[in-house]
Amino acid sequence: MSQEPKRGHFAKEEGEIILREHEYDGIQEYDQKLPNWWLFTFYGAVVWFIVHWAVYYHTSTLKSDRQLVAEQLTAVQQAKAAELEKTLASLSNSVLVHEWATKPEVTAAGEAVYLQNCSACHAADFSATMNAGTVKVPLPGLPLNDGQWKFGGKPMDIFKLINEGSPPESTGHNGAKMQVWGQTLSPKQIAEVTAYLITKLPDEFKEIPKE
Amino acid sequence: MTSTITYDDKSVRRFMIASIFWGIIGMLVGVVIATQLSWWQMNGKFLEWITFGAIKAEGVSFLTFGRLRPLHTNAVIFAFVGNMMFAGIYYSTQRLCKTRTASDLLSNIHFWGWQLIIVAAAITLPAGLTRSKEYAELIWPINIAVVLMWVVFAVNFFWTLIKRNEPSLYVALWFYIATIVTVAMLYIVNHLSLPTSLIHSYPIFGGLQDGLVQWWYGHNAVAFFLTTPILGIMYYFLPKAANRPVYSYRLSIIHFWSLVFIYIWAGPHHLLNTDLPRWLQMLGMLFSLMLWAPSWGGMLNGLLTLRGAWDKLRTDPVIKFFAAGVTFYGMATFEGPLLSIRPVNAISHYTDWTIGHVHSGALGWNGFMAAGLFYWLAPRLWKTKLWSTALANMHFWVGTVGILIYIAAMWCAGIMQALMLNQFAEGGTTLKYEFMETLDSIQIFYILRSFGGLLYLIGFILCAYNIWKTARSGVAHDESVEVTLLEKKQKDGMTWGESIFNDPLAHIFLAMTFAILWFFLPPHADKAALLVALLLSYKVYTAFRADKAGWTNWHERLIENYLPFTVLVFVAVAIGGAVQIIPTLIVNRAKNIEGRLQELYTPLELAGRDIYVSEGCYNCHSQMIRTLVPEVMRYGRAGVVDDYSHLGESLFDHPYQWGSKRTGPDLAREGGPIAKDPAGNPYKYMRVGKRGNDWHYNHLLDPRAITNNSNMPSYPWLFEKDTDIKSLPKKIAVQSMLGVPWPAMNQHEIRDMALVQADEIASSLVGAVTLPGQPELQGDELRKELAKKKVIALIAYIQKLGTYREVGDGKSKTIPLDPDSYRRVPADDAPAPGATKL
Repeated sequence: MSQEPKRGHFAKEEGEIILREHEYDGIQEYDQKLPNWWLFTFYGAVVWFIVHWAVYYHTSTLKSDRQLVAEQLTAVQQAKAAELEKTLASLSNSVLVHEWATKPEVTAAGEAVYLQNCSACHAADFSATMNAGTVKVPLPGLPLNDGQWKFGGKPMDIFKLINEGSPPESTGHNGAKMQVWGQTLSPKQIAEVTAYLITKLPDEFKEIPKE
Repeated sequence: MTSTITYDDKSVRRFMIASIFWGIIGMLVGVVIATQLSWWQMNGKFLEWITFGAIKAEGVSFLTFGRLRPLHTNAVIFAFVGNMMFAGIYYSTQRLCKTRTASDLLSNIHFWGWQLIIVAAAITLPAGLTRSKEYAELIWPINIAVVLMWVVFAVNFFWTLIKRNEPSLYVALWFYIATIVTVAMLYIVNHLSLPTSLIHSYPIFGGLQDGLVQWWYGHNAVAFFLTTPILGIMYYFLPKAANRPVYSYRLSIIHFWSLVFIYIWAGPHHLLNTDLPRWLQMLGMLFSLMLWAPSWGGMLNGLLTLRGAWDKLRTDPVIKFFAAGVTFYGMATFEGPLLSIRPVNAISHYTDWTIGHVHSGALGWNGFMAAGLFYWLAPRLWKTKLWSTALANMHFWVGTVGILIYIAAMWCAGIMQALMLNQFAEGGTTLKYEFMETLDSIQIFYILRSFGGLLYLIGFILCAYNIWKTARSGVAHDESVEVTLLEKKQKDGMTWGESIFNDPLAHIFLAMTFAILWFFLPPHADKAALLVALLLSYKVYTAFRADKAGWTNWHERLIENYLPFTVLVFVAVAIGGAVQIIPTLIVNRAKNIEGRLQELYTPLELAGRDIYVSEGCYNCHSQMIRTLVPEVMRYGRAGVVDDYSHLGESLFDHPYQWGSKRTGPDLAREGGPIAKDPAGNPYKYMRVGKRGNDWHYNHLLDPRAITNNSNMPSYPWLFEKDTDIKSLPKKIAVQSMLGVPWPAMNQHEIRDMALVQADEIASSLVGAVTLPGQPELQGDELRKELAKKKVIALIAYIQKLGTYREVGDGKSKTIPLDPDSYRRVPADDAPAPGATKL
């Protein structure tokens, strides 16, 4: 402190430093001017309050959260529909069996997707069971290796089932239906999983002719 | 006339020792639960290893994260900081009032009552007895005890003020007054409940209202339990330790009043980007930004008081801790407004960033201010020297490194997880990462966090040892001083008229009234109110310029009168909550349904919900899909573009379960419609949502059987204990009183309904599962046994989550006191393009 502080109650002049008269249990107090940057931070926040509120409530320039979500998600859905359409146009039972399923990088990607998303219900070995101690207990999904396809056993049927989940008329397995994986997985990923199943269960698909 | 008085320093010593003791316990629990997030075995399985198999358990109920996390937060807030605050307040208030604390009896009751409450909390929380509202988990009989002890504290404090021999109240006392008044208000309102038994109650608020009241309380528990009393302690002990005058008196005045007024409004920033009405989100965010400067006012007055005493930083551990504590306070109160900005909050909320933020306040500000206080007090309370300055310095450095590791790890974990969760996959139509992948990738930070926390705990143990040795080296000593007795007419002489009807108050009150009218008046009138408010603000400014002496003298007089001062503080803190909560309570309930009305629970689902609450599932799982695109994509249903959580979906939830942190994924859409049996006939009550009953059954028994690396605890006891069906009639009766439209049912109907549903679920599981402990049971025997178990009720609840009926909503109407309904942007009313209604 360069200046010698004066005693008093309050600073009255610019630059004056007052050491207040009153002491509390020996604690003294200066009465310094408030730092300008501090004041401007405070005023700035108040002004920002007024401006922000006024712009949102007195003009239509800012969109509500509901509008923003609806707009952006609609765009995502449209892109997804277009993507699906494009993928479907290039897919067929034959293409999946004879092209996708023959490429190791495709089936490897499919395996990764399967283990991440599908094995919890259908098991890594497709049996839809898990070991609980010494016994095998069923998992929530249907087995994939029993040769039965409840909703169609052609590769494209499987693609559709994964993409759209259990059909609406299905009663589910103990009430549980498979979810709409098209929401989580892209059409390409679904095709990859399908290709992975084809390579792992070759007997089921060996009769699909090459077109 | 003078007299010699002896201060009651015994109470100070007791509170200080209690604070250190509970502090170590609370921090230890913190370290344990931190490790649980990395190693699921810490939820009880570790007992198997350390007892070499004598105890066999996959999980132990009272050691799980969901039950211990509330114990950790309650212990550090109410036991550690609470006792520390009482030590500081009892010590400084006596000296600032130049009188002994009014009643030794009340001090004794306060001390022992508070410790009993803590013991009760330490027993009930691990036992799963909880109200589930954060920092307000304790059950209702303990709530009443807390209120009683707070009243004892308040009476003792204000009685001491009345007996004071010092006409004017020092700024530390202002902060203590604000603490006592506001905590009482917050605590009572947020704990209003109707009991269903001695150990269980439902809060009177539900859904949005409960959330709003909770965070009005939760945020201001931070403000008025962890901040204002500590600021008061700073104002007394920091100038004492530095032996320097406080930097600026006028800064004290300005930052005190602006802090207590503004803080209260900031609560809704805990619910940003949810479907909370936008005007409340705006108030929460904008008031939080305005809070930055008032908070930093406290930091400035602390740090700038140290000017001229910085040399002591090298030699005096007290100054070290105070300087670092105030700096952490500045950092946390800068980060707070930052996190309240809605887009930033989209990242920080539900992730570890918030946890890091809280800990920079709790470890840095509260913990270090406590340490500074203890090192300053101990030599004086035992009339000796601090046993080891070197050890205190060591504590400082170990603690500082611990904090820095902790908060840096939490920043990395929070921001990284949020970015991963929001990351679109190639093509931009799906999300790139599964929830579990994001959790895997932040494990390294969780381990670092445990390490940082452990360091901090070690530092604190050094402090405890140092204080103990200091106490042993001296003798307990109560200070005596000579004081000049004050005559009655020298204090508290202000009349009510003088304190209320005066220029400063009238001006400010008028301006503020019109500013608040601006929020609520219908279109055009609101703009007029804004204009009037701005003109009045200018008038406030000119009136102050014209009569500075008059205004300052009024305040000088006010602080010589404790009662008018206290009343004005109460008014200042009551306004924010009243403006935010009362409109939500009285007019907005119907509007807030937003087209979706929650399906009522069945009795069994309610029983399951109480298990969910009791196990503390809300500590890791939210039930709130925010209005954010990646969130709706991740948790919403396919094809529904407005599938964020609507307020009507949780309308009847007492307590609300939106959660505040996602260590696991959101559960808002976990439930589903009534399921059909294999023959195609609908079940009577059984629902199935995203996943099957057997999935949930296996998952609760062993989460890692379903999801590799899951850090969720195993819940074996849910498969052993029976659901409490007996208490349901009473619980349902209480909920009916709270306005939940339960159909009229007698106790037999309730019981039968629960049993039928449990039987349906159990039947669906027979053949797919076995009961642990009784693996030999099959068929009907298994079904009957299963149906009784808690896990069945919990599954019933999970399969109900987020189910609702579509109802007409009055969205296009303007509603009084609802600013959002005045904002008629056409697109708000029309359904969004492509929105599918289910």
